[in-house]
Formats: sequence, structure tokens, C-alpha cells
Amino acid sequence: MADLSLIRNFSIVAHIDHGKSTLADRIMERTGAVSKRDMRDQLLDDMDLEREMGITIKANRATVNYKSHGKSYMFNLIDTPGHVDFHYEVSRSLAACEGVLVLVDATQGVQAQTVANAYLALEADLEILLVINKIDLPAARPEDIALEVEQVLGLEAADAVFTSAKTGEGIDELLEAIVAKIPPPSGSVDKPLRALIYDAKPDPHRGVICHMRVFDGSFARGDKIDLMGVDRSYIITEVGKYTPKSTVIAALGAGEVGYFVAGIKTLADVNIGDTVTRASNPTDKPLPGYVPPQQMVFCDFYPGTGTTTAQLREAMEKLWLTDSSFTYNTVSSDALGIGFRCGFLGLLHMKIIQERLEREGDVSVVQTAPTVEYEVLLQDGSTMRIESPSELPDMSLVDEIREPIVLAQMIIPADCVGTVMRLSLDRRGEQKKTEYLSQTRVMLTYRLPLSEIIYDFYDKLKSCTRGYGTVDYEIEDFRADDMIKMDILVNGVPVDALSVIVHREKAQYRGRKLIARLKKEIGRHMFEIPLQAAVGGKIIARETIRAFRKDVTAKCYGGDVTRKRKLLESQKAGKKRMKVVGNVEIPQGAFMSILAPDD
Amino acid sequence: MWDRLANRSNTADGPKMTEWRRRRGKAVHLRDWKPLVQQVDSAQSMHETNVNHPANDSNCGLYVHLPFCETKCGYCDFYSVPTHGRDTAPLVFAIVRELKRRTDHIEQRILTIFCGGGTPTILPIDQLDAVLTPLGGLAKRHDSIEFTVEANPATVDDEKTRLMVSAGVGRVSMGAQSFFPSELAALERLHDPDDIPVSFATLRRNGVERINLDLIFGIPGQTLETWSQSLRRAVDLSPDHLACYGLTYEPATRLTAQRNLGKITPCGENLEAEMFELTTETLEAAGFKQYEISNYALPGCECAHNVGYWRNQPYVAVGPSAVGCIHGERYKNIADIGGYIRMIDERGDAVVERETLTGEMLVLEMVMMQMRLVEGLSISAFRARIGIDPRALFQRPIERLAELGKIQVSDTHIALTQSGRLVADRVMTQLVGEPATGPISLPVLSG
Ligand SMILES: Nc1nc2c(ncn2[C@@H]2O[C@H](COP(=O)(O)OP(=O)(O)OP(=O)(O)O)[C@@H](O)[C@H]2O)c(=O)[nH]1
Ligand code: SF4
Ligand SMILES: [Mg+2]
Repeated sequence: MADLSLIRNFSIVAHIDHGKSTLADRIMERTGAVSKRDMRDQLLDDMDLEREMGITIKANRATVNYKSHGKSYMFNLIDTPGHVDFHYEVSRSLAACEGVLVLVDATQGVQAQTVANAYLALEADLEILLVINKIDLPAARPEDIALEVEQVLGLEAADAVFTSAKTGEGIDELLEAIVAKIPPPSGSVDKPLRALIYDAKPDPHRGVICHMRVFDGSFARGDKIDLMGVDRSYIITEVGKYTPKSTVIAALGAGEVGYFVAGIKTLADVNIGDTVTRASNPTDKPLPGYVPPQQMVFCDFYPGTGTTTAQLREAMEKLWLTDSSFTYNTVSSDALGIGFRCGFLGLLHMKIIQERLEREGDVSVVQTAPTVEYEVLLQDGSTMRIESPSELPDMSLVDEIREPIVLAQMIIPADCVGTVMRLSLDRRGEQKKTEYLSQTRVMLTYRLPLSEIIYDFYDKLKSCTRGYGTVDYEIEDFRADDMIKMDILVNGVPVDALSVIVHREKAQYRGRKLIARLKKEIGRHMFEIPLQAAVGGKIIARETIRAFRKDVTAKCYGGDVTRKRKLLESQKAGKKRMKVVGNVEIPQGAFMSILAPDD
Repeated sequence: MWDRLANRSNTADGPKMTEWRRRRGKAVHLRDWKPLVQQVDSAQSMHETNVNHPANDSNCGLYVHLPFCETKCGYCDFYSVPTHGRDTAPLVFAIVRELKRRTDHIEQRILTIFCGGGTPTILPIDQLDAVLTPLGGLAKRHDSIEFTVEANPATVDDEKTRLMVSAGVGRVSMGAQSFFPSELAALERLHDPDDIPVSFATLRRNGVERINLDLIFGIPGQTLETWSQSLRRAVDLSPDHLACYGLTYEPATRLTAQRNLGKITPCGENLEAEMFELTTETLEAAGFKQYEISNYALPGCECAHNVGYWRNQPYVAVGPSAVGCIHGERYKNIADIGGYIRMIDERGDAVVERETLTGEMLVLEMVMMQMRLVEGLSISAFRARIGIDPRALFQRPIERLAELGKIQVSDTHIALTQSGRLVADRVMTQLVGEPATGPISLPVLSG
């Protein structure tokens, strides 16, 4: 077994884009885990979508060996995602570590997710190593930023390591600091096996691969283990590490991070956060495990043109078995037929799942506008949770509608405080705190309805802070407000999938905007289409889409065929993500009308 | 659904297929698969629709493109250039060479010939002769049923007309466009309205059997009244065929540029629709039957060559910018006179683009072309070539469109209704927009 004093387990956390994955590249390169030839940018971001979008979605891990002063250290590092939707990935990763590298961009300074992630590390009682990155940039102000971090997070500026994950500058110092500052794991090989499954992923050939951190004891191939939470036993068939390629090893012992394979068929059979122990000599102290991730936004997925409900269901089931961070349940819409109500961690998460469904499941998806969950108090004193406006019971039965309220922290330039306060007020925000991080930067804390911030709040915040503002939020509780349901009628028919829950005072404005947007999105048909927004049977906004009078190609001969066919092909492709209600074709964009930015 | 479709077609191996294998005398690879004739109902559908073109894949059309005009009309997006006194002979000879290469050993019967452009009739008489004589030879050899030349008013005289007639040209298509000078000016057309009857008389006097007149509606400044008069004056000349096109603002034309600059105001969708309706009424009352969205003919005088396009029949094409489609492959020649001459000199052809038609493409093309015909999409022709009943493939949109009164389905055809024709593009998009999609692995279709 490895000598515990030579092991360092740490995660890299930061605000989005501050350079975590690039720093992981440099660490792997400098320690020789990956040769220059095999190196590519953000090597650990191995999903297609991660590479296309340039962001990390899933936490990734690597074990590297670092030689220093005649000793060979084992570093188990975890690169985490920075985006707010994936906080749970960070929390999970931290439970496998003794330390974290909190990375801060030397030009941007502390941002909302820097604070949120650093707090996660503090709460987990981990050793924090402050790294100021991107010092190669001309606008870098590493010393100022280090002081700012000290001010905000109470981390010693003097202890900061300055790096450039791009040029490699400061990486040697960083590796030394990791050895010096991050404590080695405690734990004992001699105690009964106690290991945490901090993540898992399916493999088409081997079954589920469980990523784990061993706290006590050890195990090897052939051992019989117990998953304590689900109370099932398995025989280990493979033990390994990511170096960063998956590499089979003989055994894993206390303090180490690695993986095992044990003939577990699907992800549904494991609990992330579960404790692994030995069947013959179990531990009596299971690890605390995880709180399951909380879905914040909900929307319906319906099969698009050319996809059946059965195909969509199969695709969802398959995807869920690779990533269980979303939820789905069958729903039936009067207008759209059978589909699935899905829950997501945020809008980015929703977009990613939808994209993966279409790509990996080869289905087309029509999706309704995302909404938050509401708590409804009924006249009879009972309460219910609804994840879609269409679930709202008749208003005569409803006593009050409660909506989720988040605690939001915004970090903005000091001269933008006024505008951001106005924005927050307009979004029904309640100010809690104003803290100066430095002379030029302020952290505002607000209580805000989640429904007011999930759509365009971030964009709005960016635009009124010259792009500098960032926000992080967490659900606090549910609070009653004057919410009502607005129905949308297309060609005289109410389309349940278009209804929305809005604040009474905003209904008129939202209704008009929504209808105007729908008019654009639905477009002209071969007949006239009236559009109406109604609250409690009363029409509050209306528009009419004029009919096409003439739309016909005058000439189409032998030389025109290819061009005209290509046009038809593109129009046909455009119809894939579309639903027909009555005789009206409602394209995907129309369902998102409520999200249309304010003009 | 597409899987089934592909399977079905892969195994389709009718009597004609066997004949073709015999003719080739060797094993057939799937990728070579080119059914010849699968038009099981040609006789029957001819009967019902009286459009005079025996659809049959062992026939083909021949198109020759002569890209010269006196000046360039403002709305025109054909490949044609003003002659400006340049020597047209080198191009004419290159075209004749390509023609020979493409037709000397052709397997198909050349059923129809269409010599267009441009304005073929502005060529000097000897060059016109150099083109028409070999075409006439082909028409004889193949017993072609139609030989058309395009002309413009004021470009035909007795001598040229006699040459055409003696070469075997039985049909002349003349671009009249409008009988109002202001409208012709808006189109930047060169001729005088009075040239139209004069040239028309020249054609008739010298024995041209069939004459088509092209007219345009929706011209900026045109009214329902002037359009009605143009129609009546055209009818008064007793043509056999009329093509009435709604003016199209093609990209990269002067007309479109002017519109985008706000210098001209298009006529508007409502007026255009009324003009379209007026056209059908007027011409049908005068004995012309609409057989395609923009085409009207006296019974039996439909343009067989164009019907070939609309029935997705193969066609060979010759000349700069010309597009041919034969043996399941479409090709396009270079749209540049100098480049064309060079390529023909150097390698005998001038093809710059090719595409192999997949089953999926063919489905769209059959809908897009056949639905233009008043008779509509032939159910049996579609089944023969695609291997599936279009009524099943497009079941849901057919129901919706029929309910809206835009299409009607008979035992043999799916066709636009009169009101459907006004919004034909929409209808077609809707029709093909809904069937199951997915990879389709049909072999090359259509010969
Ligand atoms: N100039 C410079 N650019 C850097 C440095 N480190 C990272 N970058 C760039 O910053 C961008 C984001 O880097 P990533 O490593 O993907 O950032 P991340 O923190 O992993 O981002 P998420 O995983 O999406 O949260 C990329 O374009 C990197 O090339 C650095 O030290 N200097
Ligand atoms: S005469 Fe015909 S081909 Fe020539 S420029 Fe005018 S429209 Fe185009
Ligand atoms: Mg990353």
C-alpha cells in the first residue's frame, strides 16, 4: 500500500473559465502523466459537448506522480465544473479530498462562484491553497487580486501561488505548495474498509465504474464488498486509477482515490455518496453521503416531428443511466400529447440534457418553456407542489401560490450598484446586504424569486455591469405572492403547454410581450390565426397572424431542381422541432416565447 | 419507415430490371442500380390527364443552352450575357461538340428537344444552322415528339424562321412578357409591344406549328386592368400555349437590388394573388387549360419537354450553365463562356458540379416537381420509384391539407386544389415536413 504521507488529494475549484482544466493540463504535463505529444487543451474535458462549449460539465479526475526531494508523491486531483448549475459536482468531489486549489483569475478577481465554491471548501473543513492564475495576461493584477481574496474569503494573500496555466509559469511552485500545504490523508489500512463512491459512470462493456475514495482499509480484485446504502454485495472484478487513462492496479488502500468495477449493471443500482465496505468485516461507521442534487427548473419534453413517444422514452431512459442529475416523469398535455416533465439543476443543465438527448438518442425534442416549482396552498388547508402551470388546480380552490425564493450573491463594480439595485427591485428582490470587497467592487446579497432570475437575469446583470457582474444563488424557501395563471389561446384553442404563472402586476405586460413574440415565432399560415392571452377567462392581450395569400414558386424547370430541393430540405429540417396544435404549426421557438428578452 | 422503404427498394427487381441486367450482361452492384422503366401506369395516367408526355425512364429530354441576349433584362437570373458584337462562333462550336459527345451513344430515346437560353434566335444564321441541324438530325433519328426553340420578339425574321422549320422545329416559345411599354421598361426588356404580333405573324407565316407566349404578372406598376389587357391581347394572337409567371425577385438581379434600395415597389401579395386568379379564369374561358402552376395550353398542346421535368424524367443538357440529370446523377456545366470552351477543348465536358440522387432527395423532388402539375403527384409513379405509397408516407399532412381544402387525393394522384396552387410552396413544405426522417440508404434511383 502507498505511504499515506506521500498522498495528496485535492480538487481544483473556481469561477467558470478561470482556468481549472487548463491548470490540470499543466499539472499532468509537468508530472509526466501525459506526454507533450498526447497533450491537448483541457484534456480532461472528454465529452463532445464540453469540448464544443469550452466548459467543464462533469468533474474529472487524474492520478499523477510527483517527485520532489527524492520522494515520489501521489497526487489525486479532481477538476470540477465552475458553472452554478453544477455545484453538486463540486460538493461531491470535495468529499474525496483533504484540500482544494481555489483558483482566481488575475484579471477578473473574485467572482460569485469563487465565493460559493470556496465556502463549500470551508464548510467541508478542507485546506485551501489560493492560486492566482492567468498572470501572463497584460491586465493581470495578481497582488491586488490576492488582497481582494484575503478581504473576501479571509485567505492569506501572502500564501497565494501565482501561476499561468497557459505558459506553465509558477507550476513548479504550485506543485511544491501542494506537497507542503495540503495535508496527507489520515485513515488506516488496518481498519475495516470504508470507502466513498463520489461518482460513477456506466461503461458499455464493464458495467458501472464507481469512482471512489478509500478512507480506511483496502481492497483488491476478487474481494466481496457491500454497498451499505442499497445493502447489496458484489465481487470486485477490477480496481484501477485514472492516470488519466484508466489503468488497472492490484489494490487500493486508505487515502487513495481510484475506481472499481464489480458487475454492477446500471447506474440505478448505485447511490452516489454510498459507503463501500467489506462484506466479511464491515465498518460500523458509514460515511455521511450526499444530499441529492436539487432540481430548480422544470419543463416538458415532447417528441418532435418524426420521433415517437416510445423512442423519446427510450432515449431518456438511456441518458438517465449515464447522468441521473435530471428527473423525468410521463405527462400528458391536451395540446401536445404524451411527453415527459423533466427537472433540471438550471437552464444550462436543461440545454445540455436536451442536446445530448437529440444527439445520443437520435430523437427530436420539442420542449416547453422552463418554469420553477410552485407550492400551492388549497382552500382545504392541504398543500401541493406543481412543476408546471398546467398542473395548477382551478383558482377557486387555491388559497395561495408560493414560489421558491433564492439567496443571491452578486459581485459587481461599485459604480453599478444603483443600476443593479433597480434591476433587483424590478425583479421583486429584497436587499439583504451590501459588502465592499475593495474600493471598486461590491457584493450585494438579495432574496429574489427564482422565477425572476433563471431566465434572463444573468444577461441583464451582465449588460448593466459592463460584463463584470456575476451571480450565484441557492434556494432558501418558498414564499407566497400574488401569482396568477395566464392562458394562451392559439386559433381559439387554449394551449396548455404555453400557459405561464406570473405575478399579477406583471400579467398585462408579460401577456402582451408573449403574444407579440408568439406572433413572430408561429408565423403566417394558410389561414388567419388569432392569438390571445387570458387570465381567468378575461382576454388581456391579443394579436392576429395574417394568412398567406400567395406563396408559390413561379418557375421550376430542370436547372432549378437542386436549389429548390435544398430549400425544401432546410424547411423540412426546420419542422423537426415543431408541434401541430389544431392545424397550427407551433415551432420550438414559440414555446420559449416567455423567455424572450425584454426589448 | 425509411428502413422499410430502403429495403423495399433494394429488393425491387421487376421485369425491366432483369432486362437491364441482361443488356449489361454482367452482375449488377447495388451502387450501380438504375432501374429503367418502372412507370407501371403511364398509359393509364396519360389517359386521365391528357398531358402529352409518355413518362418513361428509357426516354429523356435534351436541353441546349445558348447564353446570348441582346441586353440583360433586370429580373433575369439565367446565365446569359449580352453579345455586344462579340464572336459567338467559338462557343457555338464548343456546344456542338458537347452535344455530339453526349448524344452519339445515348441509350435513351430523346423524346423532346428544347433549345433555350438566352435568346438562341439572335445568333447569326449560319451559327443558328450549326446548332439546329444536328438537333434536327437527332430529332429525326429518335423520332422526337417535340422540338422547341426559344425566341424573343424582334429577333425572328422569315429567313431564321424558315431555317428553324426546315430543321424540324415545331414549337417556338416567345418571351412577350407584357403589352405595355412602361411594364416592359420596368422589366428592362428591350422590345416594343408592337414587335410581338409582328414576330408572331412571322412564325405562323413560315409554318411554325405551335407557339407559346411567355407573360409576366406582378410587375411594379402593373394593375389588374393592364394585366387583363395583356392576357387578352396575347389570347387574340391565337397561341397554342401560354406561360404566365408571377414576377420573382431573384437574388443577385438588378430588379432585386432596386427593390432593396426602395427604388421600386413590388405589387404586393394581394394583388399578385388576384392577378393569378384572373389568369386562370381568363385563359380557361378562352379554351386554355392550366396544366401546371404557370402553364396553360390548348388541349394536346402542353409542352412535353417541360412535362418531362415535372414528371422527374431524365434529361441531358448541353451548354454553359446547363443542368442535366441522367442515370441518377445531376450535373451542372460551368457558367462561364471562356471556361466552357476551354473545358470542352481540354476534356470534352464542362461539368463543375455533380450530385448523386439519394432516395430521400428523390422523394422531395418528386413532390416538388409533380405537385406543380395540375394532375398532381402520381401515386403509382411514386410507388414504383420509391417503393412506398405516398398516401402512407405523408398520411398526416395529407389529412390536414385536405381538410384545409388545399389538396385533393384521388385513386391515382395527390393534387393541389385551385386554392392550394396559390400557396403551393407552403403546401409542399407541409407535405414533406412531417414523415419520419432518418438515414435512408436507397441506391441511386432514376435513370
Ligand atoms: N492567458 C491565459 N489564459 C488561460 C490561462 N488559464 C486558462 N486560460 C484560458 O481560459 C479559458 C478557460 O480555461 P478553462 O481551463 O477551460 O477554464 P475552467 O476553469 O476549466 O472553466 P469551466 O470548467 O468551464 O469552469 C481557456 O480559453 C483557457 O485557454 C492562463 O493562465 N492564461
Ligand atoms: S431575354 Fe430572357 S434570357 Fe435574355 S436576359 Fe432577358 S430574360 Fe434573361
Ligand atoms: Mg474546466
